[in-house]
Amino acid sequence: MTDLTPILKPKSVVIIGASRTPGKVGHIILQNYLNEGYDGKIYLVNKNAEEILGIKSYKRVTDIKGGIDLAVIAIPAEGVPMVLEDCGKTKVKSAIVVSGGFAEVGNVDLQNQIVEIAKRYKIAMIGPNCLGVVDPRSRVNTLFLPSYKLSKPQVGGVSFVAQSGAVGSTVLDLIAGEGFGLSKFISYGNAEDLDEVDILEYLMNDPETKVIIMYIEGIKRGKEFIKLARKITKVKPVVVLKAGRTEAGSNAAHSHTAALAGSYEANEAVFQQFGFTIANDLSELLYYAKIFESEGAPKGNRIAIVTNGGGAGVLTTDAIASSRFIKLGEFSASTNSALQKTMPTLVNIRNPLDLAGDADDKRYGDALAALSSDPQIDMIIVIILFQTPGADSRLASEVVGLKENTDKPMIAISIGAEYTEMHKIMMERSGLPVYDSPRAAALALEALFRYYSYRNHKG
Amino acid sequence: MLLDYFKAKGLLDRYGIDSVESRYVKSASDAVKFANGKPIVMKLLSEKQLHKSKAGLVRLGLSDSAEIKDAYDELERKGRSLKPYNIIAQQTAPNGIEAIVGGREDPQFGKLVLIGLGGIYVEAFKDFALRTCPITEYDAAEMISQLKSRDIMTHNGKSAKMLADLLIKVSKLLNDNPSIQELDLNPVIITEKGYEIVDIRVLE
Repeated sequence: MTDLTPILKPKSVVIIGASRTPGKVGHIILQNYLNEGYDGKIYLVNKNAEEILGIKSYKRVTDIKGGIDLAVIAIPAEGVPMVLEDCGKTKVKSAIVVSGGFAEVGNVDLQNQIVEIAKRYKIAMIGPNCLGVVDPRSRVNTLFLPSYKLSKPQVGGVSFVAQSGAVGSTVLDLIAGEGFGLSKFISYGNAEDLDEVDILEYLMNDPETKVIIMYIEGIKRGKEFIKLARKITKVKPVVVLKAGRTEAGSNAAHSHTAALAGSYEANEAVFQQFGFTIANDLSELLYYAKIFESEGAPKGNRIAIVTNGGGAGVLTTDAIASSRFIKLGEFSASTNSALQKTMPTLVNIRNPLDLAGDADDKRYGDALAALSSDPQIDMIIVIILFQTPGADSRLASEVVGLKENTDKPMIAISIGAEYTEMHKIMMERSGLPVYDSPRAAALALEALFRYYSYRNHKG
Repeated sequence: MLLDYFKAKGLLDRYGIDSVESRYVKSASDAVKFANGKPIVMKLLSEKQLHKSKAGLVRLGLSDSAEIKDAYDELERKGRSLKPYNIIAQQTAPNGIEAIVGGREDPQFGKLVLIGLGGIYVEAFKDFALRTCPITEYDAAEMISQLKSRDIMTHNGKSAKMLADLLIKVSKLLNDNPSIQELDLNPVIITEKGYEIVDIRVLE
């Protein structure tokens, strides 16, 4: 197994191609290292500079005394073989080749050359043509994107693996707007040395990673991927967004089977067989990241809905009805009698439980307390429409408090603009996942239930 | 290369997979003898034509010798542009829902096994489930329950179990025989009593 520790938790890093010119890739990378407060040793290589941003610059890597864990290489492609060779001689443990201009534009020979060098010196290499990595715990950030353009995610348990740098940074920016946090971000580009199998294997064993989400265009080593796939989903959830659905099927097929099941379908089959959660777009990737980061295994598939808006309750019921894996539960007799005592007469005691437009923290509290201990309910959706008079910060904190005291998965749906958004962030950062549509909430709970059913079956 | 029908049938036999009784016929009278008074089906098999029904290479419900002779002559005429070919006579299978069970060698993941709504609906509905080989009982059950047509395809728990068994056998066959590139059992006719495999296509 390839150890990615020197890449993600380097004690020392050399930025090759560090630049004095603001706006250049080699400048932004250095600036990001400084802004993040990385506390390892930073070396710079630039053959024309003595010093950049107050840090001494070397002519060549071979001039540097002292061990180097990671080289971040951001120079034009044709210069990469030479500096990688220098890295090898200096016993640099790993490299991220940010530079593009390799196989993706037809320069296969140049790419083969750097792969050969990396293998010869046993340098663990990510790239070429990638954004590199972010690890908020070790304050490593090799992205060449100006930090003011990209919001910074919190520290958390979601690791995100992306073959495409652009999709990667977009999703990273979106994650920052959600209430869950990031463990690792790895953009691996052309995947010539380290590929998805190496990266997933490392993340499977990484205690800081609770859930893995990935954007993938193609799997390099199918058989090895299957071997890993068998193991990884027994350890932690993996959500995958695979691009290339419209890839032309096998036109030359001689059988119906081959005509139906092309390469996209083969990938999907592997994901289905080994308990991956399949996301169909970027939004779903985030829905699933959020639920898995926050919630554990449900005991079953029966859902209770509590709402302060009748229509929203009906829409959520519909969203659940369109899934064949989850369903609305029926309240137990003891829940019914508890609710009869605590609810005002205008509240109909049935699922979905409509607490009415004037529901406040007290009414939500009573309802959720009863449902939390109902043996016929496995998961709870709390709809809070913050436009109503009784819904305010007290209500949000009451629900968050009850969430802490239940072992059932519980999520919220809140739909609205600024006032809602403010409460959404507050509730999410306190551990209650919030979704902005009934469909998103239903998809999330369905994925949660399906993943843990798979794990139960596969042991 | 298309494997000879009876070699393919023999291969299925070795894995305990029965298929409908069939014989190559060299003449109309050969076919009449095979029919022995019962209704038969005649088909032209050629590597050059995958879509037999669409190309008019399947004749159903042939009972008397006049019908059989007419069908034989027609197939023989159509076969002139599809050489090499064989004409096969088969017993008529009972009516039922048509499924497809198949497999192929994937350059990435190795052998894949498939089940779907079959017959003439294969390409119209593209309702199928796919897994890598070998599959477990759990996988086979999941494949069937993943189909939109699962309720019409399985009459009851017994037929679901039977289909799952068939999938497991096919997965084993595919795994054991590395030379197989593509396999179609289409249609597999599902009846209340069991299933009947009516057409076999194996490419090496």
